[in-house]
Amino acid sequence: MNRIEEKMQELQAEGKKAFITYMTAGLPDLDTTAKILKAEEAAGLDVCEVGIPFSDPIADGPVIQDASYRAILNGTNLTQILEMMEKLRAEGMKMPIVFMMYYNTVFSMGLENFVKACAKAGVDGLIIPDLPKEEQQPLQSVLDEEEGAPILIQLVSPISADRVPYLLEGARGFVYCVSSMGVTGKNVNFGKQIHDYLSSVKAVSKIPVMMGFGIKTAEDVLPLKDALDGAIVGSHFIRLMDENNFAPEVAGEYVKTFKEKLNND
Amino acid sequence: MSKYYGEFGGQYVAESLMNPLAELDKAFREAIADPEFIRQYNYYLKEYDGRETPLYFAEKLSKKYGTKMYLKREDLNHTGAHKINNVLGQILLAKRMGKTKVIAETGAGQHGVATATGAALFGMECTVFMGAEDIERQSLNVFRMNLLGAKVESVTTGSSTLKDATNAAIRYWSEHAEDTFYIIGSAVGPAPYPEMVREFQKVISVEAKRQIIEKEGRLPDCVVACVGGGSNSIGMFSEFIDEPSVKLVGAEAGGLGVETGKHAAAMALGKAGVLHGMKTYLLQDENGNIELAHSISAGLDYPGVGPEHAYLRDSGRATYTNITDKECMDAFLELTKEEGIIPAIESAHAVACACKLAKDMTEDQIIIVCLSGRGDKDINTVRKYLNGEETNK
Repeated sequence: MNRIEEKMQELQAEGKKAFITYMTAGLPDLDTTAKILKAEEAAGLDVCEVGIPFSDPIADGPVIQDASYRAILNGTNLTQILEMMEKLRAEGMKMPIVFMMYYNTVFSMGLENFVKACAKAGVDGLIIPDLPKEEQQPLQSVLDEEEGAPILIQLVSPISADRVPYLLEGARGFVYCVSSMGVTGKNVNFGKQIHDYLSSVKAVSKIPVMMGFGIKTAEDVLPLKDALDGAIVGSHFIRLMDENNFAPEVAGEYVKTFKEKLNND
Repeated sequence: MSKYYGEFGGQYVAESLMNPLAELDKAFREAIADPEFIRQYNYYLKEYDGRETPLYFAEKLSKKYGTKMYLKREDLNHTGAHKINNVLGQILLAKRMGKTKVIAETGAGQHGVATATGAALFGMECTVFMGAEDIERQSLNVFRMNLLGAKVESVTTGSSTLKDATNAAIRYWSEHAEDTFYIIGSAVGPAPYPEMVREFQKVISVEAKRQIIEKEGRLPDCVVACVGGGSNSIGMFSEFIDEPSVKLVGAEAGGLGVETGKHAAAMALGKAGVLHGMKTYLLQDENGNIELAHSISAGLDYPGVGPEHAYLRDSGRATYTNITDKECMDAFLELTKEEGIIPAIESAHAVACACKLAKDMTEDQIIIVCLSGRGDKDINTVRKYLNGEETNK
């Protein structure tokens, strides 16, 4: 069974919310990325999103754009990240891993090569923000052919409206709700509008609904707890890592605190 | 109409833009089927833009190169280039859709100036995204945009040039699509943009076809245009695509030479990829990261090309060649001295290409060159070039 789906079932059975972080790979280098992932797994992180740097990240805000740019300047590339993943799996990492990336990185490697490499490296899911549902068929059919291939995570936006049932058709793992801003890393007013948006997706979704924008602490999402199944922290997590010299223990501590607050308050 | 040109085109955008694109597509199709919309568009093309533009017989060049060379004088449009044709169409569509704000991306500043001009005319709030590098290189156009009441947003991410300005405009649009219309200046972007830009630039070839038949009683043997993203070229090709006797040639910017890696000829190396909402040929490295384009002409300095051009290339209907900085500057000087027309450096690529093609043509054959813009904006670059200073990033 796919590790993400397994984890989602486990959390549902326990009545718990999922916690997910996003980190651009290769900051400041891939050895550190591997250490951060290990620390997060030890701290109980449910799913980890690994950002694959791309030169033109059109769906990302300034923090992730900058992180991506720096990682490329460091020489980080997909092949090395896949190698890191394979090594982490060989060392016993069980945490579900999602690659967040842009379609040209996939296309450039070749769909078949890419999917095979992901299956081999133990990548469980893919988030490709510039590959809307209408353009997914070529990749999806290759994923369907490969044993142990990652699943495609579907994104929903507040203006998806009438498209939501279509987007959720056959969706696996979890649904990723992005902000009304469409771009990551913006400040969010956690008001009624957001609650209504998440509730409307949750009402029709058979799989868990994650909120993935503007979150800094567990306190931010507590008022929305009934409308979501989990929270994703991206830009804030990168900023936190940046400010703390990418110390793995800071990552672990942040995950531990967030998870406790999310599930106990 | 399909979203694809063969395997190229499509809508590779964030989910949050799928509904805005659907809304745009519907509005665009309704508008071009509405005689009142077309009447308005034609009214502004004539009364404001100054169309139709002449199809000028370049007598001295024709004699020199031994074939009949005609210049489609898009440089005589209001604001000095073909860009305004498309801006007028898109801004009328924006108004019709009830949008109150427009945004645009710009490299050299020509599309930005055209958009700022249209926004002033129709009383719309205008923001132009421009790379910080380009703002410095094209300060005169920045000043023009400011005079016209537009806000120029400096983009400092990535390489701080046109591709990054386009990223910034797409991001802004996905946040503000409700009241904001994104006016794309080139034949690029997600569907229906490439089709829409062709629709609003096809007037170039509609006129040229009529004019050449009036003057020569027949179709040309060849039409030539420069290709960056490909807006003037798709406009120049449009009415001739279904005329198999007319050869279509696009001139990409060869920069210092394709073999040096410092060029903007996205189709020369033929590697397809996905950028700015479309699948097309792109300059990219082995990891799929987009590479910087290099050209003496800021307007051709784009790492991709419109998807319809990618398709025309693969289907063999059009051929694409590249012209180096030096070849283009020689043609620039030749046209200036022989015909008294100072062309945009972009357009000089097409002139250089036509002069090369003319060598294999006979005296009674006809070639039409799209002279997409005038060269006033390029005077500083030309001066630097003639003094032997660095003009290429």
